[in-house]
Amino acid sequence: MTTATLTPSAAPIVHEKVIVRSLKVPIILDVFAIAALVFAFGIPRRGQSSFRLSTSTDFFQIPTVVLPTVATVVTVAILLVVVAILTHLLVAFSSRGRSPLWLSAVFTVLFLFLFLTWAGADLRGIPIPGLLVGGLALATPLVFGSLGGVLGERAGVVNVAIDGQLLFGAFSAALVGSATHSPWAGLVAAIVAGVLVSWVLAVFALRYWVDQVIVGVVLNVLVGGLTNFFYTKVFAQVPSLNHTTKFDTIDIPGLSQIPIIGPVFFQHTIIIYIMYIAVFVVWYALFKTRWGLRVRSVGEHPQAADTVGINVNRTRFWTVTVAGAVAGIGGAFYTLDSVSKFDKDITQGAGFIALAAVIFGQWHPIKAALAGLLFGFAENLQSTLGIIGSPVPSEFLLMLPYVVTIVAVAGLVGQSRAPAADGTPYIKS
Amino acid sequence: MTLTTRKAALGGLTALAVSALTLVGCSAAPTGNGGSTDAKSSFLPCMVSDDGGFDDHSFNQLGLQGLESSAKSLGIKEKHVQSNSADDYTPNINSLLSANCNLIVTVGFNLSQATDAAAKANPDVKFAIVDDGLDNEGAKDKDGKPTGDGKVDVDNGKPILFDTVQAAFLGGYAAASYSKTGVVGTFGGLQIPPVTIFMDGFAEGVKYFNQQKGKDVKVVGWNVDTQTGVFTGGFAAGVEAKTAAQGLLDQNADVLMPVGGPIYQSAAEAIKDQNKGSVLIGVDADVFNTDKTVDDIILTSVQKGVDAGVEAVVKAAKNGDFDNTPYVGTLKNGGVKLAPFHNFESKVDPGLAGELKKIEAGIEDGSIKATSKSSPQQ
Repeated sequence: MTTATLTPSAAPIVHEKVIVRSLKVPIILDVFAIAALVFAFGIPRRGQSSFRLSTSTDFFQIPTVVLPTVATVVTVAILLVVVAILTHLLVAFSSRGRSPLWLSAVFTVLFLFLFLTWAGADLRGIPIPGLLVGGLALATPLVFGSLGGVLGERAGVVNVAIDGQLLFGAFSAALVGSATHSPWAGLVAAIVAGVLVSWVLAVFALRYWVDQVIVGVVLNVLVGGLTNFFYTKVFAQVPSLNHTTKFDTIDIPGLSQIPIIGPVFFQHTIIIYIMYIAVFVVWYALFKTRWGLRVRSVGEHPQAADTVGINVNRTRFWTVTVAGAVAGIGGAFYTLDSVSKFDKDITQGAGFIALAAVIFGQWHPIKAALAGLLFGFAENLQSTLGIIGSPVPSEFLLMLPYVVTIVAVAGLVGQSRAPAADGTPYIKS
Repeated sequence: MTLTTRKAALGGLTALAVSALTLVGCSAAPTGNGGSTDAKSSFLPCMVSDDGGFDDHSFNQLGLQGLESSAKSLGIKEKHVQSNSADDYTPNINSLLSANCNLIVTVGFNLSQATDAAAKANPDVKFAIVDDGLDNEGAKDKDGKPTGDGKVDVDNGKPILFDTVQAAFLGGYAAASYSKTGVVGTFGGLQIPPVTIFMDGFAEGVKYFNQQKGKDVKVVGWNVDTQTGVFTGGFAAGVEAKTAAQGLLDQNADVLMPVGGPIYQSAAEAIKDQNKGSVLIGVDADVFNTDKTVDDIILTSVQKGVDAGVEAVVKAAKNGDFDNTPYVGTLKNGGVKLAPFHNFESKVDPGLAGELKKIEAGIEDGSIKATSKSSPQQ
């Protein structure tokens, strides 16, 4: 029945306290601090930078903040240098041997602020609410996709087919939503579509032990081909089948009128509110419930889980099913919240960025969601900078999300460890 | 369970995926229309799309329209085949060659190299390519921009080019005249010459309006001098295009010109969500006619007559009048034009039509300069 090589061997787990003083984070911060100094002194931009904070629907209006560009950039650059030195000191002398993550976060925010101030010199004001709202819209499919990815991988099933799930979800939501004129029916269809893709993955990965990465890649090709085919054969011929009624925006009374916070968090459709809830539900379910413990145990050490009576493959199957449903909702965002039509390859590879968010987020739902938000924000930053007419070339700006991904995954996160049995089929001996 | 079973299972799945891809291929397998079946005087014009496909509401679709209408009026058959990815270009051209096509029209500058190579290998067959100078002998930069000399490499290849900047100039002028907020915006799919030529013309047209009227209408999303602006990184009507459009609306723009296939659909969503009466300018086709779901917000369209260009070249080739001098669509020969205002006829400035006519004449006789770095070399 089995070959010896296919049996997952459990590595012995050894606990020992070793302080690793890694210079990776300080060195990356150094690089950015030097870049900041270059912005401040090497290629200074004179004039004033303004930030628009309010939108017209706000409770009260915050006046546009106008800052002198040179002075602000220089001040922030010096602050960045101080933070970089501080991380060096912390790594060298603190008892934990590393600098806290929040310091890296503060550094990142300061650097972004410096970059925006520099790029926005003497141009139209940078609309901060617009920047964040657009970033959230771009991040939504990434967050749903990464939640699906986290669920699957925590149970030991690598899901490369997130993009396929998003695409099929978007397609099904458009088809059913248009045919029934009900966004709710569309949402259900998207969930079903995500689950269907998951089931194909599950059958091949759990029943036939096919390499999960290969199945995922093939599934992406399959869904891409199918949706393109139906787009050409159905949607292009009968446009009324590709014109959904979108979900209405729900303003949370009171909260939605707070400047910045309101437009960013509380003026959205049901899908975004589902996203907020889903992040916490997935976190709670994985880490605070018995079900979550079982999921994590089949992902870390399936043999041990089996020994105590957990049906490994059944647990994996149902977890992957839930993951597909979550990713499917992300697909519905495209055609029920953002635009009311499906287009060929509408996801533009968002599923792969979501996969990066899973790893960047260290297989943790909340961190993965934050990673998704960061990627979405980086993507919107490039179009915002293009709109205000910054001198940075658009080719470079289009690279930005990927640069952020590489720096983030390689550097700031430090070591991230996948669930031990991630991607390994469980074969009962 | 043996490894053989695993392989068989994977093989099955792969076969399924490949057949899904083939389905798409099938849908586009060389198909021809009716027309009279005179086998003897058989001149067979054929076409290969780029990976946008013939249903892109844009230049592939227009190219096919041109092919079909010319075949119809000449009473001959035609064949066309769709490419689903860049890997299909050369095989598709080869399959048309083996179908004994006399003229093969390739749509889009992405097919430049494939067309060039096929034309060299088959000197008896005529080739034409939309949006490319076919002058990429020697060096080419990695963006595929023609760094060539403007000289066509082969005797049997004819470039079909469009000086879209002329029509976009009129579009920019109309946008500036219509704008109530004094801000107009444009953004593109990818920063490639066939896209930026629209944006250049748009910005130049606004500038000309400001000079003529002493106004200060601003353009957001594109800077002609630095050639930097807003791009969505692809030609899908997804969230990227919508947030870009929203960003422009946030800057008070009330006329948007999205350049690149279907991305105008995302912009239309942003405009409808905002609900402040902003309008769109379509590109390539007269979008008012091709997409009824957005016709209520289409101010006008900057038309690039790919259909007219293809039709002209096919007819000329059928009549034995074929050489490798580029066909360049201009305002003068009707290859590019500004579409009617349709629903907005009564809402635009009453003097606008007259002014546009004057500018059109000015561009034709050269007294008004409407050029772009991306204009076809002539």
